[in-house]
Amino acid sequence: MIRIEGLTHKYEGREEEAVNNINLQIKKGESLVVIGSSGSGKSTLLKCINRLIDPTSGKIYIEEKEILNCDIHHATKIRGSIGMIFQEYNLVESESVLKNVLNGRLKYLSTVQTLFGKFSKEDIAIAKENLKVVGLGEYENERVSNLSGGQKQRVAIARALSQNPAVILADEPVSSLDPKLMKEVMDLLTTICKEKGITLITSLHFLEFAKRYGTRIIGMKEGNIVFDGLPEELTEKDIVDIYGKTKEWFLYGKTGF
Amino acid sequence: MKKIPNTIIKKKYQKLIIGLLIVLVYYWAISGTGTSPTSFAQGIPHMADFIRRMFPPDFSNIGTFLLKGLETLQMAILGTTIGAIIALPLSFLAARNIMPNKFVYHTIRTFFDICRGINEIVWGLIFVSMVGLGPFPGVLALSAHVAGALGRYFSESIETVDPKIIKAILSTGANKIQVVIKGIIPQVKPAFINYILYYLENNFRAATVLGLVGAGGIGMELLTSMRLFKNQEVLTILMIMVGMVILIDRISATIRKRVVGIKTIE
Repeated sequence: MIRIEGLTHKYEGREEEAVNNINLQIKKGESLVVIGSSGSGKSTLLKCINRLIDPTSGKIYIEEKEILNCDIHHATKIRGSIGMIFQEYNLVESESVLKNVLNGRLKYLSTVQTLFGKFSKEDIAIAKENLKVVGLGEYENERVSNLSGGQKQRVAIARALSQNPAVILADEPVSSLDPKLMKEVMDLLTTICKEKGITLITSLHFLEFAKRYGTRIIGMKEGNIVFDGLPEELTEKDIVDIYGKTKEWFLYGKTGF
Repeated sequence: MKKIPNTIIKKKYQKLIIGLLIVLVYYWAISGTGTSPTSFAQGIPHMADFIRRMFPPDFSNIGTFLLKGLETLQMAILGTTIGAIIALPLSFLAARNIMPNKFVYHTIRTFFDICRGINEIVWGLIFVSMVGLGPFPGVLALSAHVAGALGRYFSESIETVDPKIIKAILSTGANKIQVVIKGIIPQVKPAFINYILYYLENNFRAATVLGLVGAGGIGMELLTSMRLFKNQEVLTILMIMVGMVILIDRISATIRKRVVGIKTIE
């Protein structure tokens, strides 16, 4: 479903590549977890897939369509079919829960309709339905700033689902949550994606989570993929390869949860 | 004997010099303006006499004064609205984070600086000579000044928006204008409303002063009564002005609470 060939990205003013010659194929419905230390290139890889970052070189095919060489209009369309969930939720805090979820329907609206906030009845019904799916049906009129971290991430999931996506990219979706909420959110996200046949690509810090929620794991170090396999294939040696014997190895790799 | 390090001595002298400079600046300002507590104390009986002559307030012309007060309010409402309408679209062009073209950015910023840099009274004098006496030049004067002030504050608010939210809206497949409508405007809306309400209050006060240069409203009545030494009428006018400022303040506080959603600290 997603094929990445020779993907390289270098940030301006940096000497080393954030991701370096990545080659990857992701099957439809897969739950791929990307692990690695901070700065290993996990986020950059995810952001290249929906072109939030335009990579320096390489090719990305989604359903056999190359997405990096297309015009901005086409890129926007592709982006619309990929939901994204962020570590810090990235919601409009001063707006209601429903309004935030409705932002997932913007690709179906014209600019004039957006200006007047004219969402169709169908859009509103879809947004409300997705709020029910994430267990926040009663919170539609609540201001986002009044919600807890776990609830905010559920709103973000509902926003991504409202895009009716084929793929969801989750960039460290539980890093801002406490362990109990981490599990709740990951359970919810993986269950929904499995039910709806959505391909899920998640970057995670904690190994135990990666093993539990991934059907496949890739390990990144300094912009390169140093492990690609099934969760049960991940050995102690691989973990040291990915994290090195650093503080992060002890924190995320060795202890886990 | 232990030697005191040079840096400590240097710092001591620095403090002394800064202290001396502050004293000199205040001496210069006080002597230049003739500010003197003795003159102030000597003036108290005159002030008391002035206040005494204001009582009891003369309500015989209260109907006219109230109408003129409302005219001032109309000036403030229109001036603020027109200023905000001019400032709103331009402020997006003067925000560094969304306007990559430096020429456009600097041109709009300079336009805001000129509008804001000229005081309402000066704008009033310019517009009175252009369209004649009355509240209309007052409205134009307020609009011109407010466009500059709001334009600057609006664009600064836009510059502080959270780029992460913009990215999140972009990632849904929204186009750039949709990102502005759904990603930027909701973030700056509370600040924009606060600034507009603040300038509405401010413009009411400014509009009363504008009357002094012939730009209509209750300020013109105040000037006339003061010139004719009708001190009891002056008090009535002042009472109306203060009352209206308090009223506007209460109304804007209510709007702010509803729209901006201020929470009480528990």
